[in-house]
Amino acid sequence: MSYNGCCFFAYNNSEIDYVRLSLLAALYVKKHMKNNNTCLITSEGDYGWLESSLGKKLVEKAFDEVVITDVEQAENVRTHYDSPWTTFDSHFQNSNKHLVNEYSPFDKTLLLDIDYIVRNDNLDYLFEQDHIHVGMYNSACDLRGNLPELYEQYLNPVGVPMWWSTVVYFDRSETSDMFFDLWSHTQKEYSFYKFLYSFPGHMYRTDYCVSVASHLMNGMSDGDTIHKIIDGPMQYMDQKDDIVEIKSSNDWIFLANDRNEPWKDIVSRNLHQNLHVMNKRSIDRNFDAMIGAVT
Amino acid sequence: MDDRLEKALEFSNYRMTIENQKKNLKIRMETQQTFMYQKGTWRADQKLLSFIHTLMSYDLTKAVLQDSRDNPIEIDNLAEFKELAIGKYNESMNEFLMESNKLAKARNIKKVMDW
Repeated sequence: MSYNGCCFFAYNNSEIDYVRLSLLAALYVKKHMKNNNTCLITSEGDYGWLESSLGKKLVEKAFDEVVITDVEQAENVRTHYDSPWTTFDSHFQNSNKHLVNEYSPFDKTLLLDIDYIVRNDNLDYLFEQDHIHVGMYNSACDLRGNLPELYEQYLNPVGVPMWWSTVVYFDRSETSDMFFDLWSHTQKEYSFYKFLYSFPGHMYRTDYCVSVASHLMNGMSDGDTIHKIIDGPMQYMDQKDDIVEIKSSNDWIFLANDRNEPWKDIVSRNLHQNLHVMNKRSIDRNFDAMIGAVT
Repeated sequence: MDDRLEKALEFSNYRMTIENQKKNLKIRMETQQTFMYQKGTWRADQKLLSFIHTLMSYDLTKAVLQDSRDNPIEIDNLAEFKELAIGKYNESMNEFLMESNKLAKARNIKKVMDW
């Protein structure tokens, strides 16, 4: 019997309490998935802060394993939105995400971003399919069912498809080792691959690294070495959207912002779908209600 | 603002919300219909169910089918496959119908949101 579970990376910065959010994401995994062992990968200081701020009992309930990795993180400033009208910059620490296959204590691992909230058991199938070695989403839609901006569908307007590192499934196999080697290589030679694949922005983005690695491993075509997760397109709440109400663990109401006319919002009720909740401040504002729904 | 115009705009917002909810229900339904069987990815829609039924009507117990990622997959046990696909189809369509009926009955945004 293999030991399976979900891993979360969380390193705090001056703006976002990532470990607090990771606890929430882990509790949703516990509530909704069958393969619900969880592992937090964080620094010693952040773990100490998590225990002192939320209590050891709750932390032990959320996480079965903790991996302490006090690695030096590269500078990576990211601008976040909280509604269309508020922005803030924070140092995003993601330079060791490709080492998850070394950190993970599991035989089969689902790496989840701390803002990816599991609200059903759709992802459990990954652990049951021995032929799947690495899996990710390569399509996404927002709360209005619209596709993301073009630069988040393809690495450039005539480029290769974007794969999302928000959810990465992997097992212990040669294929997955190869995938992480390529991810590591792409990260190391980021400037070269940015030039070669013409992806935008100044920030180091793991989505681009996994997209390049997937493109190479799929034989530079739309192959299937890397499995496309079948849980629909990855639905996400944009940073400009907001949470209005948490009715239960899988029934939430949002304000969905109009990308073209940002002064307009509609209410959107989302039932049972897994969600990438990109507006982290909105999670913070609704933290108690979200925790209350799963404890 | 003119009362009639205000009413029309309110109705427009209500319709926009309903259409968005319908889109969300469709995404949910399609997600529920997608499943894996014998290393293939399948969507338990009307097309797949009819095709399995056709194959079985020729007394076939196994056959090669093209999955939704265009891979040829040999299905060893068509009856088991059909059973699984029908289960997925019914589960998704029952929820789709139930939630769509709720939407059809809701005459304003508050009702849609259960407020």
